[in-house]
Amino acid sequence: MINDKNSQKIVDIIQNWARKQSIWVLAYGTGCGAIEIPPTMTSRYDAERLGVRGAATPRQADVLLITGYLTTKTLKRVIRVYEQMQDPKYVIGFGSCTINGGMYYDSYNTIKVLDKYLPVDVYINGCMPRPESVLSGFGKLQELIADGKANGAQKYKDNLDWYRANQKRIIPNWVMPDYNW
Amino acid sequence: MEKIKANLIEHIKTSFVTAKETDFDGNRLDFLVDKQCIPSILTYLKDRLGYIHLTHITCIDWLEENEFELIYIVWSPEEKVKVFIRTRIDREKPVIANIDMIWPQAHTYEREFRELYGIQFEGLVAPDEFILEDWTGPPPMRRDFDTAAYAAETFFERPGREDAQDVRETITKRSGEEIPDFAKKYSR
Repeated sequence: MINDKNSQKIVDIIQNWARKQSIWVLAYGTGCGAIEIPPTMTSRYDAERLGVRGAATPRQADVLLITGYLTTKTLKRVIRVYEQMQDPKYVIGFGSCTINGGMYYDSYNTIKVLDKYLPVDVYINGCMPRPESVLSGFGKLQELIADGKANGAQKYKDNLDWYRANQKRIIPNWVMPDYNW
Repeated sequence: MEKIKANLIEHIKTSFVTAKETDFDGNRLDFLVDKQCIPSILTYLKDRLGYIHLTHITCIDWLEENEFELIYIVWSPEEKVKVFIRTRIDREKPVIANIDMIWPQAHTYEREFRELYGIQFEGLVAPDEFILEDWTGPPPMRRDFDTAAYAAETFFERPGREDAQDVRETITKRSGEEIPDFAKKYSR
């Protein structure tokens, strides 16, 4: 019965509906963008009415928010955090630094294009993005989840070699555990 | 204030003959000394004259003169005067005495200068890495290190949009303004 195509579709719809209603964000700020998260979460903008709330550890979280510039040193930790998260998991690139380097385009120590290293589902542009844009980004992510299009984690699994090669290009001293789930 | 400063200049000039002073308005006083004098002048200021607080150490890269300039800023809470001790060291062989036995907090500054400028402190005992991780290039804060070129060859770059155009002329025509001369050279 469950192998029937139409029943699987119904299961998927219910599953995606449930997933989009509870997006838990890992409380981990990489750059200056983390300062926009408290107003988004607190009473003025109140992201929790959309089901967005903070999670304490990577294993409880659904969304990894890369808030702003990412140094090569932080990238190592971010990759490790991302690989510890359990499915379903999504990445939101936040601010222009994750898109094209932003004001750190010529820095010797920050990466410029995030989606070469981690699979990004939604980008929020701006420097800084205001809480409205953050909420709109979460809304977009909910749409993608509902349509079943937010499949960054699957992309990461399928193209792991390509992502690894890019990551190892700037992290010469690679001491991470294997990623095999 | 003037009296305190004159007194201080007299004290320093008696003990350190080569020190050259520059007076500034307010509560600031500058001394340019040889690099051998640094530990002794700082100890003298701290132990004898009451300049017990090390506010800051900073480094300037004078690429054209092939020198580094190190500035130690000390402060006396009693006399309310801040004293800048400057020294110049050779850029090719930047070696200077370690002062973290005078002020322990100088340790952090010295590790930072060692990593970001490549200055060696004689007798500094600290791990090699401070802020940068797995860094193999030249010290990045030196002015002859081209960060833009390094970033271009190390990190991926997102190409700009193909349909990106210079829309300033259209906008100025529409609003009846003129592009000022100094801005024209930035045109694409």
